[in-house]
Amino acid sequence: MTTVLAVCVAVIVTVSVYLVTSRELKSIAMGVFLLGHGANLAIVAMSGSPVLPGGLLRQPPILGGGDLVDPLPQALILTAIVINFAVMGFLLTLLILTARRTSTLNVDELALEDPPSDGPVLDGEPGRRR
Amino acid sequence: MSTDLLGLLVAIPLATAIASVAVVRHRHRQRVLGLVSLGSMLALSLGWLLDVRDGDVLVSQMGGWPAPFGITIVFDSLSGLLLCAGLVVAIGCYVHAFSVLDPETERRYFHPLVQLLLVGVNQCFLTGDLFNLFVGFELMLMASYGLLVLGHSRRQLGQAYKYLLLNLIASTVFVVSAGLVYGMFGTLNLADLAAIVDARVVSGEGLPPGFVGVSVLLLFVFGAKGAFFPLWFWLPDTYHTCPIPVAALFSGLLTKVGVYAVARTYPLVFAAGDARDVVTPLLLMSAAATMLLGVLGAVSQDRVRRILAVHVISQVGYMVFGLSLMTTAGLAGALYYMVQHMIVKSSLFLCCGVMERHTGTDDLGRLGGLYRRDRFLGVAFFVAAMSLVGLPPLSGFFGKLILVREGWNDRWWLSLVALVTGLLTLVSMLKVWSKGFWSAPAPAGERTTDVLAVGSMRGAYTGIGLLVAAAVFVGLAAEPIYDIALQAGEQLTDPTAYIEAVNPRALFAAGGAGGGG
Repeated sequence: MTTVLAVCVAVIVTVSVYLVTSRELKSIAMGVFLLGHGANLAIVAMSGSPVLPGGLLRQPPILGGGDLVDPLPQALILTAIVINFAVMGFLLTLLILTARRTSTLNVDELALEDPPSDGPVLDGEPGRRR
Repeated sequence: MSTDLLGLLVAIPLATAIASVAVVRHRHRQRVLGLVSLGSMLALSLGWLLDVRDGDVLVSQMGGWPAPFGITIVFDSLSGLLLCAGLVVAIGCYVHAFSVLDPETERRYFHPLVQLLLVGVNQCFLTGDLFNLFVGFELMLMASYGLLVLGHSRRQLGQAYKYLLLNLIASTVFVVSAGLVYGMFGTLNLADLAAIVDARVVSGEGLPPGFVGVSVLLLFVFGAKGAFFPLWFWLPDTYHTCPIPVAALFSGLLTKVGVYAVARTYPLVFAAGDARDVVTPLLLMSAAATMLLGVLGAVSQDRVRRILAVHVISQVGYMVFGLSLMTTAGLAGALYYMVQHMIVKSSLFLCCGVMERHTGTDDLGRLGGLYRRDRFLGVAFFVAAMSLVGLPPLSGFFGKLILVREGWNDRWWLSLVALVTGLLTLVSMLKVWSKGFWSAPAPAGERTTDVLAVGSMRGAYTGIGLLVAAAVFVGLAAEPIYDIALQAGEQLTDPTAYIEAVNPRALFAAGGAGGGG
């Protein structure tokens, strides 16, 4: 079981690294989300294997089985999933906003958006204040 | 010693953030709410800091669950000093923002985001376990992403991703490392981990084979947040684009949380056994490179904001220098340096904001004659800049003195690097001073904005005055503050008091069970 999880994590992380190295922000975002899932799976492996040495499955606690997998990593993952979800929502919103403002999601073109001779943003131009 | 009210330092800003959203149309009500929240937190932290001055450790077990099972909140000298400094910075930047943020930006969630940022920062400073440190980081980062794109101009959107993505990846690595630590030791409570690791090293049982790896992974995570040498590239661009009060807040709080995380976890847990031989050289090299390359970057810049932003990196190097020594005085020096740097750096950023308001630019080639136009700003900038450089009666001097003296015996080359860095800091600060303030005014045609009415900038000047006064205070009261820092350093190198206060094995004490889960 742990081996299966390890292979899954390896595949997910490989795919996400491939995605993160692309030049398109959409792919990078997807890569980061996948990386989060890979991390969560890696923590599942810390719970210990639900398969006993004889090949039998452990009894779930609700059936009164005494020999349980460690539930704490799963509580950790729940927190991590919620945080990941919030970050995902924020990042996607930001992507939409960026696409509307700059009409591109390409990393190179976004970098060009910043002409070096331009001054820094003023925090609300003085003229607009009353 | 235990007190159940420690959770207030997280609960107050959280409640204020929610209340601010409820009155989001009224910016004056939001301001009052925010100031009440910041003021009450500062009062509470100052009170508790006086309590722990003699080496006590205040502990609060959330929900009454004993240590390794529940969430532990710990308030000792280390967290107390940083909480107070952080809140002073927050108040200064907050008051400053009143008169420089444009009303629409301010109304649209500046206030709740600042409070949420403080929820995260306070939780990081207070938490007693690794997983809640992660949660605190995430809270802080979510709020900082929001503040970073506040007003969402094109430039901000284009530059935000560097910071965002690096931090997302670092956070993922943090979760994995926390999982690995749990897999090795069966606990994430820092006091529990410290006790287990110490027992294993002393008994000769040794640490699990992956321990060194996890230790280095976490160093990557904290280094990315704290802008240590190879992981600093996100910082200058980020601080260049966001509104000035936000940049000042970030420079005071964000990178310091990364440094704090190293100061808290490494002497306690992750620099034990074999890991020390790997982590210490990494920290030493990173410190030297961060200090020297940071200041060289600053000297080569021509824009005030970039000079200040790159200086943040260089100054983080001094803190890492103190941490890498792993001695009581080294850690205390790093802590004192953090406290003074948070305040000084934020006040410099705020001064830079007013310079931009006067002239419409932060390009040194087009600035000039500011001292004649605005005496208060000139004096405030000069005092803050000289604190940063480290001129004797001011705070930076004591910070550098402690570090250089402590490093001189073992790591004299690092102390030399620190001294050279100090000299180059002087060069770059004098460059800003002489070109911006002292020289003849720029030709009239270059001036893009009129001279500001003093009335509309009252909040801005109050914020700057507050922070500069705090910086001078940290310099004048160097001895009492350093005493508390020394206390914190002792508690870090000898965590007995910390472990006893948290008492992670209270439930097992009767049966005498111990060791990994």
